[in-house]
Amino acid sequence: AVSAGSRLLKGRGGHVVIRFALGGCTNRPFFRIVVANSRRARDGKYLEQLGCLDPLPNAHGEKVAGLNLERLRYWLGCGAQLSRPAEKLLGRPG
Amino acid sequence: GKAAQPKPAFTDEAVQTLLYKMTGLDLHKVFRPVKKGLKPPHYKLMTEAQLEEATRKAIEEAKTKLIMPPVLNEREPIDDVLAEDKVLEGTETAKYVFTDLSYSIPHRERFIVVREPSGVLRKATWEERDRMIQIFFPKEGRRVIPPTLFKDENLGTVFQQDRHEDVLNMCIAQFEPDSPDYIRVHRRAYEDIDKRGKHDLLRSTRHFGGMVWYLVSSKKTDGLLLDMINRDLLEDATSLITLYHMLHPECQSAKEAKEGKLQGVDLIKVFVKTESQREGYIQLALQAYEEAMATSSAS
Repeated sequence: AVSAGSRLLKGRGGHVVIRFALGGCTNRPFFRIVVANSRRARDGKYLEQLGCLDPLPNAHGEKVAGLNLERLRYWLGCGAQLSRPAEKLLGRPG
Repeated sequence: GKAAQPKPAFTDEAVQTLLYKMTGLDLHKVFRPVKKGLKPPHYKLMTEAQLEEATRKAIEEAKTKLIMPPVLNEREPIDDVLAEDKVLEGTETAKYVFTDLSYSIPHRERFIVVREPSGVLRKATWEERDRMIQIFFPKEGRRVIPPTLFKDENLGTVFQQDRHEDVLNMCIAQFEPDSPDYIRVHRRAYEDIDKRGKHDLLRSTRHFGGMVWYLVSSKKTDGLLLDMINRDLLEDATSLITLYHMLHPECQSAKEAKEGKLQGVDLIKVFVKTESQREGYIQLALQAYEEAMATSSAS
């Protein structure tokens, strides 16, 4: 833990991004929409979870996604950046 | 023509008091032992005053248990298209459902939108809304997909076993009060009870008010009236008829009642003559009741 933290502090500082963290089992992906420091591991410690996305369609043929709009507005207001797939997802509902 | 007075709604004070009186308060049925783990029975030693106190508290609790679930009209299907982007057509294969997960928004006002593969962005239908809200904010007693019990074929089997009350309790837990499924299940239950004359099944439960409301609105009160007279509940019969007159003020018995200011048995007789289809049965029942009253007061 100490070494990972000091990697963040030394050198050029990272910035806050909103991106996907992959979880789930073999052949069953599940993304969590997460606010984290850009230098953290993809699935590592994050600042806050803003929602989730299930990329496989369910019994009704839908891909379920949840977004916490209130907190999203806060982080975007703080100046967080978006990863490319996060931009595509957030562009869908407009 | 002239505008009629606005019909009294289910939530009016007068209507609610009448329905509550008719529901009755059978403590033994309300606090019927629910199946739980086996425990040896508790015995408490109480004085008279403590016993009264305990019965009073029990009555208060029973009153809260008998609060009637609301009767609403069916909800309108949502059909709102927010945007149409032909640019996105053909880029995906499945629809995307986006749910707003902010914690402090009431469920009715949540934004739940669906982006179809054709690029159309629309608001989600009520069924989709209910499903998504149950997935992210699960409520006890609800399943994400409604159980097959609520299909019409299976409802018949449950009604054969006289378990209307359990089905209605499950229905209240599963569906919203203004969803078409909720209303359909309730109507099926009430009609089945009316057909078989088993109004006593719901007598001391919170579904009784809703049943009376439905039967009075659709003018099928004969079975209920018969049941009440057979059980010597004359005050309930009179309150039923007053409710009927409140809801249908233009019928003949209502006018006669208002002119003559009739009370009690006379009101029932007038009502039976003008409104009911099963006059014969009800007259017989009334006669039997009056004979019973006469013999009991004579002896």
